[in-house]
Amino acid sequence: MKILAIDTSCDETAAAVTEGTKILSNVIWSQASAHAKFGGVMPSLAQRMHEERIDWVIQKALCKKYKDLKEIDAIAVTIGPGLSIALGVGIDRAKKLAIKYDKKLIAVNHLEGHILSPLANNPSSIRFPALGLVVSGGNTILVKINKIGSYETFAQTTDDALGEALDKGARMLGLGYPGGAILEKFARGGKTNVYKLPVPIVGQEVRKIFTYSGLKTAMNRLVESEKPLTKEKVYNLAASYQNTAFTHLIRVCSYVIRNSDNRFINLFVGGGVSANVELRKRLRKLGKETGINVLFPYSKKLTGDNAAMIGVAASFKAERGEFAEIDKIDRKPNAKIGD
Amino acid sequence: MQIIKDCTDAVGTAVKVLNNGGLVIYPTETLYGIGADATNPNAVKKLTQYKNRPFGKPYSVAVTDQKMAAEFVELNTAAKNLYKEFLPGPLTIISKGKHKVARGVESEEGTLGIRIPDYKLVIDIVRKFGKPITATSANASYKKRPYKISDILNNISDKQKSLIDLIVDAGDLAHNEPSTVIDTTLDDPITLRQGEIKLTDRNEVVSHSEENTKNLAKEIWQKYETHRGKRAIVLALQGEMGTGKTIFTKGLARAMGITEIVTSPTYALENEYTTGGDKLFHIDAWRLEKPDELRALGFEDLIKNKSVVSIEWAERVSDMVHEFDDEAIIIWVDIKFGKSENERLVSWGVTQ
Repeated sequence: MKILAIDTSCDETAAAVTEGTKILSNVIWSQASAHAKFGGVMPSLAQRMHEERIDWVIQKALCKKYKDLKEIDAIAVTIGPGLSIALGVGIDRAKKLAIKYDKKLIAVNHLEGHILSPLANNPSSIRFPALGLVVSGGNTILVKINKIGSYETFAQTTDDALGEALDKGARMLGLGYPGGAILEKFARGGKTNVYKLPVPIVGQEVRKIFTYSGLKTAMNRLVESEKPLTKEKVYNLAASYQNTAFTHLIRVCSYVIRNSDNRFINLFVGGGVSANVELRKRLRKLGKETGINVLFPYSKKLTGDNAAMIGVAASFKAERGEFAEIDKIDRKPNAKIGD
Repeated sequence: MQIIKDCTDAVGTAVKVLNNGGLVIYPTETLYGIGADATNPNAVKKLTQYKNRPFGKPYSVAVTDQKMAAEFVELNTAAKNLYKEFLPGPLTIISKGKHKVARGVESEEGTLGIRIPDYKLVIDIVRKFGKPITATSANASYKKRPYKISDILNNISDKQKSLIDLIVDAGDLAHNEPSTVIDTTLDDPITLRQGEIKLTDRNEVVSHSEENTKNLAKEIWQKYETHRGKRAIVLALQGEMGTGKTIFTKGLARAMGITEIVTSPTYALENEYTTGGDKLFHIDAWRLEKPDELRALGFEDLIKNKSVVSIEWAERVSDMVHEFDDEAIIIWVDIKFGKSENERLVSWGVTQ
C-alpha cells in the first residue's frame, strides 16, 4: 500500500511517499537547514509559508512516478500536536487531495511518527513491550509501547523540551538560535569537568519527569559570571551544559527501565536530538547495561520533523483499518500520544 | 563547461567567468560550492535554475574577511564575537542585510548569511573578484552532498550541466559536515520600538521559590477572575530566560483548575489547555519578530472570545497587546532575577 504523507506541525513543510515501512521519497522544506535559514523562524508567517510551499513539496515527493496519484492508495496527515494554524494547512490539503482523487485518509499523531521512525527501512522483528523516547525541540517524552498503536506515557517534560533547552543554552553562549546543533559541535571540543552544573532532580528520578528550567537558570548565572567569554570558555560551557542535560535524561530513562515490571527488548529513539552523536553513544551504553536494544532512525533526515515517519505510522493504522472520515478529520494542537 | 585543476591560473579563470555572470564550482573546507556574482541578478537567476529550487530560498555568500562582510550586513555584538573566534571556518553567520546583493540572495526578511571559507583558493578568488560570491553547496536541491566532482555530475541533468561554466577540481575533499548556520539577528534589539507600558497600579513582591511564584500567580488570578467570561484576561509576562515565566503560567493554570502539565510553548508558539472546564491559551513571543505576528496566531479572536491568555516575552509584542487595552483586562507581570539563586522580584499591574 502506497501512502502520500503530509506533515505541517510546526516550522517544517514536509511530504513523503511510503510503502509499509519503506521510504520512497522524503521531502522537507526546512527553514533551519543549511543555507536556507530565514531570519528567525518566522512563525508569523507559518501559515502563509506552509501554504506557499506545500504544493511544491508534495509535487517533489510524488515526483514524476506518482504524479497522477494513480498508484497512491491513501493520504496520511499529521493532526497534532503542533501549531494549530500550521496543522490546518496540511489537513486542508490532504482533504482536498483525498476528495479529488477519491483516496482514503489517515490521521496521524506527530509523536507516534517520531516513536516509530526507527522502523523506517528497517523491517526487523519487533517484540513488545518496547520503550519509545522522543527527544526534539517541542517534545521530550518516554512511553511504553504495548504494541504499535497502544502507548502509555512513562515520563515527560514539565517545562522545556530537551532540544529547546539545548537551543536556549546555545543562545546564552551567543551562538544564535536554534543552536542545538552547533552546541553539539562545540561540546565535542570542550571538557565537561571545568564547570559544574546541577543535574536536574538528581536522586529523585522516582518522580519520573524531565525538567530543564533549573539547569537553564543555573547556566544563565554561570555564563553571566564567566563573561567576557573566550573560545575556550564557550567550548567548556557547551560541554558541561550538554553533558548535564543528557545525564538527567539518561538517569530518568535508567530509573524507569530498572524499576519496571516489564522486560523491554527494544528502545526506539526519535526526534531531532536523536541525531546527536554524544546522546546516541550514551543511550547505547544504557542499552548495553540494561540489556535493551536501542534503535535510531537510519538517516538523519528522519530525526527532525518529516513526513516519512508519518507515512510509516500511517501504514500500521491502515493495516488496522483505522481510516479517518473526511468531514470529521480536524486538527488537535494538543494531541497526546495515548489519544 | 570547462574543468581545471586547482592551479595558479584557477583564480584568474574563475574571476573571468564570474565577471561574465557565469557559474563556478569550487572546493571549500566543507563541500564543493557553487559561486555566482551575488550582486548580479542574472547570475543569481542562473544559479536558481541550476539548483532547481523555487525562488525565495536565500543563498549565503562568501567574503574575504569581516571588513568586507560589514559592507553587506550589519554586524551586532553577537556576530562580531563569532567572527572573531570562529572565522574563517565552517560557519555561516546570518545578520541583517544591507540590501546590496541581488534579489533572492537575502531572505524575505532581509537577512543574509555570510561565509568566510577556510580555503585559500576561495578567498583569493573573492579578493580578486572584489564582490561576494554565492556559497551554496554545488549539488542540486535534494541531491547527494558533493565531496567530489562526480558526486555532482552524476546527479544532475544535461540541462543543468550546460549551466555550469567552470569547475575547479581539487579531487576528493575531506568528508566534513556542511557549514553550521548561526542566526544572530535574534540578538538585535527589537526593530520596532515598543511603546512604554504605563500601569495604573504597581505591586511588587519578592518570590523565594518556584512554589512562591506559582502562588503569586494564583493571587493575581483570584483578583481578576471576576472578569472571566465578560472580558478577555491577558497575563503579559516579561523577564529574562530562566526567570520563571513558564513557572508563573503553571501557577495560573493550577489556580484555574487545569490539570494538564503546562510546558514551555517556545517551540510550538502556542499551547492550549482545556482540562477542568476552563481554557488557557499559552503563547510564547520569543520567536516572533514583529508584533503583527501575534495577530497571525489569532490573538484578536482570543480577545473577542473573552479567553484567558498568558504571553511569555510579551514586551516583544507590546504594541499589539496595547491595541486591546480597552477591550481586555491586561495584567503586565515583570519577573527579574534577585540576589540569591532562587530569589525573583515580581512586579505587576494593569494597563489603563
